[in-house]
Amino acid sequence: MKRRRLAPLRRLGQSLFLCLFLFLFIKTDYQGSDNLQYAVNLIFRIDPLVAAATMLAAKTFIILLFPALFTIVFTFLLGRFFCGWVCPMGTIIDMSHKLARPAPNTTDWKHQNLRYYILFFVLTGALFGLPLVGYVDPFSILVRALTLALYPAFNFSSESFFTFTYLNAPPWVNSVTEPLYAFMKNYILASDPRVYTLTLLSLSILLIVLLLETVERRFFCRNLCPLGAMFSLVARFSLLRTIGGENSRCGKCQNCRSTCRMAAIDHNKAVSMEKCIFCLDCIDACPKKQISFGFAFKLAPISMNISRRGFITTAISSAAIPLFLPGRAISKRPNPKLLRPPGALSEQDFLTRCVRCGECMKVCIGNGLHPLFLEAGLEGIFSPKLSPRLGYCEYNCTLCGQVCPTGAIQKLSPEIKKKERIGLATFDKNRCLPYAKAIPCIVCEEHCPIADKAIKFKEVELVNDNGQRLVMKQPYAIDELCIGCGICEYKCPLEGEAAVSISRPDNSRLQKDALSY
Amino acid sequence: MDRRKFIKEVLLWSAGLSLSVPRFIVPGSIHAAEGAKSTLSFTEGPDYESLVSRALSSLGGMKSFVNPGDTVVVKPNIGWDRTPEQGANTNPIVVRAVVQHVLDAGASKVLVFDRTCNEKRRCYTNSGIEKSLKKLNDKRVELDHIDRRKFVPVDIDRGKSLTRREIYLEALKADCYINVPIAKHHGLSKLTLGLKNSMGVIGGDRGEMHHDLGQKLADLATVVRPKLTIVDATRLLLRNGPQGGDIKDVKIRNALIASTDPVAADAYATTLFDMKPQEIESTVAAYKLGLGEMDIAKINILKS
Repeated sequence: MKRRRLAPLRRLGQSLFLCLFLFLFIKTDYQGSDNLQYAVNLIFRIDPLVAAATMLAAKTFIILLFPALFTIVFTFLLGRFFCGWVCPMGTIIDMSHKLARPAPNTTDWKHQNLRYYILFFVLTGALFGLPLVGYVDPFSILVRALTLALYPAFNFSSESFFTFTYLNAPPWVNSVTEPLYAFMKNYILASDPRVYTLTLLSLSILLIVLLLETVERRFFCRNLCPLGAMFSLVARFSLLRTIGGENSRCGKCQNCRSTCRMAAIDHNKAVSMEKCIFCLDCIDACPKKQISFGFAFKLAPISMNISRRGFITTAISSAAIPLFLPGRAISKRPNPKLLRPPGALSEQDFLTRCVRCGECMKVCIGNGLHPLFLEAGLEGIFSPKLSPRLGYCEYNCTLCGQVCPTGAIQKLSPEIKKKERIGLATFDKNRCLPYAKAIPCIVCEEHCPIADKAIKFKEVELVNDNGQRLVMKQPYAIDELCIGCGICEYKCPLEGEAAVSISRPDNSRLQKDALSY
Repeated sequence: MDRRKFIKEVLLWSAGLSLSVPRFIVPGSIHAAEGAKSTLSFTEGPDYESLVSRALSSLGGMKSFVNPGDTVVVKPNIGWDRTPEQGANTNPIVVRAVVQHVLDAGASKVLVFDRTCNEKRRCYTNSGIEKSLKKLNDKRVELDHIDRRKFVPVDIDRGKSLTRREIYLEALKADCYINVPIAKHHGLSKLTLGLKNSMGVIGGDRGEMHHDLGQKLADLATVVRPKLTIVDATRLLLRNGPQGGDIKDVKIRNALIASTDPVAADAYATTLFDMKPQEIESTVAAYKLGLGEMDIAKINILKS
């Protein structure tokens, strides 16, 4: 009797979870109501690495991240099932495997300790104030690349295609493409084209993860992923076991070993629970059908080999690096253009809690939140800032606080959000049209969303360059009312730099009290 | 002409032919017949649907503007992420009533849209217009967001300050264009009325319109020509316009102005704010271009 192959089942599972992930990604957007209907940030809330690092950094329990416990319990029961079936990064790596010139399956595992070192370094770093989890967490890498690079590119190419057919194709083509475009606009595409900073950098990081497939299968998962390392530690206790041919029931063939993407099977055909992700390939490959599943209550062996010396070095260096951070100029005079999203914690707390996942940038309907580069120091890369010349903070919107998985951006009620100060508007009278050129404008005043305008104007009689006597409406900002939403800077009709700009002239963000959950 | 030059020229011209953005030529403007008196209907009352019905019937009913099978554009102001109570967008009941009349007149398609200032989906939702039109449950009604592909460059031959501008194709090619602005305060132009509502069908950077705004709006009105202007004066935003945000700045007026003359509609709406039509630059500029009547005494006003 021919046995059915099992790998397609896994692929189906992977595809379903990937679809769910992409669905939630696309739904990370305004959905016609002030509150999001879905837990769009679910992937980060079930991520125990993010949970552990963030809670260590904040030194408090964060209720938002409790779903991560579920994943841990799940791993106690089913081992690293998550890595093989659920993880969208793992799925994309598997998908890209055939595209990349595939590396032959290596049966040994050279750098297996690296991911444990990364894990310990990230966690001890988090404890001592060094925020690194966002740079190694697989979902942060993935969602960032999706938000900042892949999704905008997908939108751009779709729109270009449908613009081409709309302008050039015969009517019968348009009778097909236009309804398709309408459907895509409703359900898949972004409502407006998005631009972001650090697009290529975020894309490159994902591409490197994928290109490592040419070195070794699941290179990232085997050697780098600290989340996988965490699962490995738990999987030792897993109830579910893959039972290989170690009891010499099988012959000499090495099919299971050479097919295993995780190099989880040793010389004696024993399957390591530390490494096995239940991809089922070995079961399909075994000619004698010797591999099976079973349950066991004893501790599985682990090959993690971290020396005491290595552990201590890791701990000391992660504790020492934060000592160098306060000595930098930015801790005394932060960049005044570094505008954090409304509801962001005080700068230090914000940086340690933010996992650089890009959810806030994806959801920002004004396209105002962008990843910053070095303005907040080396450890601030990819954390969000409001860039008002690129987009603004929509007055009635509270979505960034709703999607932040760690509470680095707090969820604000609409009433509080409308008073939350991001920065202050300042005019450059040398460039502002009514001041500099006696040209009427006050577009800023028109768009200022505060009911008693934070930008007002005074009527001034002046003489323009042609000697004409004019009454000019000249705008000015009122600090007590301005919240720094940035719509004035965004809509300023000047080319290049705006004549009104938002900045944080004070150091208030350094002192701002962190509200705890 | 040598071969090289010939080929170069042919390539140049043919490429220009195939790649140029389709142009839209607006047919020569129809001047108001000399001596014909502008007619305007002014209605008051708390029932907004009845306001629309009465205003239209005094102008001969929607059938005198819409023929069966027509494609009709109804252009409200949906510019801001504000609720109907805040008086920054055209009242959703007024919009629905107008659309209902257009449907009853036998239109084959009714397009409702605006190029918003705040995030477009929030504006459509919170203005109440999206929900209000859904209640009609009629497939002929399309409330779509602006499609960037549909802006076409238009030469504004009669324009003094604005001579060329990208304009939304649907607004230009509709059989009937009905302008449904809301009357409210505006920092720069003092009031925003019917002519200013046409800002919602132009492309490009609109900020530059603010230089010489009154004349530019009048110039725009030579090519964007509503068959009917219905000014929503049910709630007047008196201060902090055009987006307001504070109910205290809103005065409930329960009135509606309808006219085939866009200038007359604006001129009369101005008086509701205790201002004179002469104070609004766009009204004066449009009057000077011969687009309509601004002298209240010369307008035939039908009150009901």
